[in-house]
Amino acid sequence: MRSLNTPKENTWCPGCGNFGILNAIKKCIQNLVEGGIPLSELVMVCGIGCHGKIFDYLSLSGVYSLHGRALATAQGIKLANPDLKVIVFGGDGDSLGEGLEHTLFAAKRNMDLTLILHNNGTYGLTTGQFSPLSYTGYKGLSTPQGSIERPFHPIPLLLEAGATFLARTYSTKLEHMVQTLHKAIDHKGFSFVEILQPCVSYNNTYQLFNEKVKLLDVIPRDDATVMALARNQEHYYIGIYKEQLIPVYHELLYQTQNPIRERLSGLQRKQKIRELY
Amino acid sequence: MTYFIKTQWSIDLHDIHTIIIAGKAGEGVKKAAQVISGILMSYGRHVFQNDDYQSLIKGGHNYSTVSTSEAEVFSTSEQADLIICFDKRSVEERRVDLKCGGTFFYNSDDGDGSMGIGLPMTSLMKKAYNTNGNLCSVPIGIFCALYGHSKQELANIITGEFRKDRDENLALAGMIYDCVEERLAPFARKHIPVAEHLFSGNQLISLGAWTAGLDFYFGYPMTPASSILHYLALQKDRLGVQAIHAESELAAINMAIGASFAGARAAVGSSGGGFALMQEAFSMAGMVEAPLLCILSSRPGPATGVSTYTAQEDLFFALHQGHGEFARVVASPDSHERAYSLAAELLSLAWELQTPVVLLTEKHLSESSTCLKLQPEQVPHADVKIGLENDDYERYEITDDGISPLLFPPSDSVIKWNSHEHLPSGLRTDKSQPITDMKAKRASKIITAKQAVKKYQQIAEYGEGENIVFAYGSTVLELREAARHTSKPLHIIAPIYLEPFPLEELAIYAGRVIVVVDHSCTGLFASFLKEKLQTKILKNILRYDGRPFDPHSLATLLEEAFDA
Ligand SMILES: Cc1ncc(C[n+]2csc(CCOP(=O)(O)OP(=O)(O)O)c2C)c(N)n1
Ligand code: SF4
Repeated sequence: MRSLNTPKENTWCPGCGNFGILNAIKKCIQNLVEGGIPLSELVMVCGIGCHGKIFDYLSLSGVYSLHGRALATAQGIKLANPDLKVIVFGGDGDSLGEGLEHTLFAAKRNMDLTLILHNNGTYGLTTGQFSPLSYTGYKGLSTPQGSIERPFHPIPLLLEAGATFLARTYSTKLEHMVQTLHKAIDHKGFSFVEILQPCVSYNNTYQLFNEKVKLLDVIPRDDATVMALARNQEHYYIGIYKEQLIPVYHELLYQTQNPIRERLSGLQRKQKIRELY
Repeated sequence: MTYFIKTQWSIDLHDIHTIIIAGKAGEGVKKAAQVISGILMSYGRHVFQNDDYQSLIKGGHNYSTVSTSEAEVFSTSEQADLIICFDKRSVEERRVDLKCGGTFFYNSDDGDGSMGIGLPMTSLMKKAYNTNGNLCSVPIGIFCALYGHSKQELANIITGEFRKDRDENLALAGMIYDCVEERLAPFARKHIPVAEHLFSGNQLISLGAWTAGLDFYFGYPMTPASSILHYLALQKDRLGVQAIHAESELAAINMAIGASFAGARAAVGSSGGGFALMQEAFSMAGMVEAPLLCILSSRPGPATGVSTYTAQEDLFFALHQGHGEFARVVASPDSHERAYSLAAELLSLAWELQTPVVLLTEKHLSESSTCLKLQPEQVPHADVKIGLENDDYERYEITDDGISPLLFPPSDSVIKWNSHEHLPSGLRTDKSQPITDMKAKRASKIITAKQAVKKYQQIAEYGEGENIVFAYGSTVLELREAARHTSKPLHIIAPIYLEPFPLEELAIYAGRVIVVVDHSCTGLFASFLKEKLQTKILKNILRYDGRPFDPHSLATLLEEAFDA
C-alpha cells in the first residue's frame, strides 16, 4: 500500500488528542485495505476546525468542506457513487453547532457513511470558545462568566435521530480506536463514532478521561440503556453502543444502481427526448 | 336547461384570443386551462398560459389565462374573449377583464347575475359526484360546446385527461355541454399541431439540463422554483434522474458539490431566500472549482416577499453571488425555447469551466406555459478537461486557461478538493507565492469564460430600427407580445448572457438613448446597462407589483416613451 502521509507540516498543538486520531485512522485504513477494500474507494470529507486539518495530513481523496457542511458534502458524494466509502471528520462545533441539521438528517436517512466526531468540548481553532458539547460553566472568550447552556449528549442525540451504529472511543486508546473505526466504516448505514479528544490548549481533559473512561464490554440491549450509559458522567463508557441493520438511503432511492456508472450518454439523452417530446 | 349566447366575438386584428378561468384554489382552475390549451394546440394554434395564484391551498382567488393565436404567442393578454368564473369573488375580480363583445360565464349557485350567463355549476358538480367534487371539467364542457366540438369529442378529451374521477368528470362536462346551446366555433382546425406538448419554463429548464447530462437535482421547496424539484422527482424512472428534497438549501447546494466531486452533473434551484442561504457554498464551488448549475427563479422580495408572483429584483444578487473573487457565468432565458437551450448550455459551461453558473429567471417564465417542440440537436456536448490517472496528478494544476484536469474517485490518484486556499495538490496553503499563483489561475478562468460563452448566442434581438428597448428574461416575452400592438416598430435587444457580459457585441449601443423595461422598483437593469454601456435612459418602464405587463398597456407606455 502506498504511504498515507503528506508533505504538509503538522500544526496541531503538541499533545493534542488529534494526533492519536490521525494515527488510528491510518492504521484502520491499512487494515481495511488488507481486508480487501481498495484504497481508491475510500474518500474523506472534513469540516473546518482543528479536526479538519486531518485532511492535509492524510493522503486520501476527498473534500475539505465548509464549517458545518461536511456531512452534506459527504451525502452528495455517497449518493452520486454508492461504491465509495465516505468517512467524515467533524468537530463538535462543526457537526453539532453550525451543521447540526446535516448530522441529524444524515442519521435520519441512515445514509451509509461514517461520522467521526472529534469531541474536544470546545472550538479549538477559533481559540477556545464554548461548543455545543461544553459543560455548563465552561469559560471561554465568548463566555467569560461561564457557559449558561447545558451541553448536548451526542450519542443519545444521534440515537434519537436514527443512527444505526453508535460508538465512543478515546484518543489515547489507539487499538480501541482502530477497532471501533473499522467496525464503523464496515457498518452498512449511518455510523457515528464520538472520540473523546482532549484539547491541551483550551479543554485539557486528559486527567478526567484517564480516570473516568471505562470499557463497555457488551452492546447495551436496549435504547434506554444506551441513553443511560451515554449520559453517565461518573464513568465515560467507551465501546459500541448500538449496531443495527436497516435499509440504507441510497438503496431505497435507486436500489442497486450506480448513478455515475450507469449514466446515460449525451446521445442517449437526445434520443430519449426525441422519443418522448 | 339551455342557455343562449347573444354575443359574437370580434376577431382581434392580431388574432389573439384570450380565455380566463377563475375560481378558488383547489377547484381545478389551472388544470382546466391546461386542457383547453391542449385542445387549442390540436387546432394548430399557438398558446401561452399564465397562472395567477396566491400562496394558499384552498380558497382565495386563482385564475389562469390562456392566450392563443395562429402565430406565436409570447405572453398573455389581460382582456379576455371568454371568462368562466366559479364563484362570486372571481366575478368581482375578473369582470373588468372582459373584452367588449366577450362572453362571460358565472356560477349561478354562487354569483350575483349582474353580467353574463349563469350556469348552476356547483349543483351540477354535486349531481355528478354525489358529493362535493371538483369544478375542473366545467370550463372544458363550456369550451367544447362553444368552440364547436361534438359531445363525443368532449368525452374523448375528458377520458384522455382524467384518470381520477373520470366518470364524474364525464358526467359533469356532459351536463355543462348540454346547457350551452350556441356553437360559435371561431377557429379553423388544421389538425396539424404546431407542437404536441405544453411546457412550463421550469419543465424546459429541467429538460434542457437533463439533456446536457443532469444526474442530480438538489432542492428545497420555494416558489417559483419548486416545480423544478417536483417535475424532476416525477421523471425519476422515465429519465433516470434523481431529485432530492434536502433538509435545507444549505444542504442542497453542499450535497450538489459533493455529487459533482464524485462526477455527477448536479444542479440546485431556489428563489431569492433560498439562494441567499446558498451563498457560502456557491463561493465554495468557486474555490473548489466545482461545476454546478444554480437556478434562481425570482419573486418579489425582499425577504419572503410575494411568494407566487414575478419580479426581477435579483439581478445584482445573481451577478454577485458568493463572497470572494472567482469566475462565474450568469445568464437569463428570454423565452421558453431558450429556457431549454440555455439550461443545457449553462450546465455544459459549468463543466467546461469548473465553476458555478447561474440561470436567472422569474416566476413569469418558470410557471407560464407554451407549446413548443424541443430541439435536442442544439444541446452542446461539454468539453470537459479530464486528467491522467497517475501519481503526479494534481487537482489544481496551474494551466494557461485556468482549467485544471478533473478526475473522479475511485481513482489511484489522490484527488483533493479544498475550500481553503490551496496548492496545486489540493493541500491547504497560506503562503504568499502559492496564494498569488492559485488566485491568478482562478482569475484566468474569467477570460476563459468570456471566450467560452462566445460559441453560444449571447444576445437576442427582435425587430429593428431606432426605437431601441432593452430587457432581459421573461420581460422580453412581454415586450414581444406588446410589439404587435405598437404603431412604431420596436427594436428589442435582450442580453441573454449577463456575466460575462457581451460588451463587444453590444458596443454599437454604447452611449445610445434607449428605453428599458424591467420588473424592479429602482430600475436595476437600467443601472446595469448604464454602467456597462453608458447608455442614456430615455425611459425606465417599471412594473413591480408582481404581475407581468399586459401587452396592450405596455404598448401604450412604449409609444408614450418614444413620443416624448
Ligand atoms: C461559516 C463559518 N463560521 C465560522 C467560521 C470560523 N470557525 C472556524 S472553525 C470554528 C469552530 C471550530 O470548532 P469545532 O468545530 O469544535 O472544531 P475544533 O477546532 O474544536 O476541532 C469556527 C467557528 C467558519 N470557518 N465558517
Ligand atoms: S487548539 Fe486544541 S484541538 Fe486545536 S490543535 Fe491545539 S490542542 Fe488540538
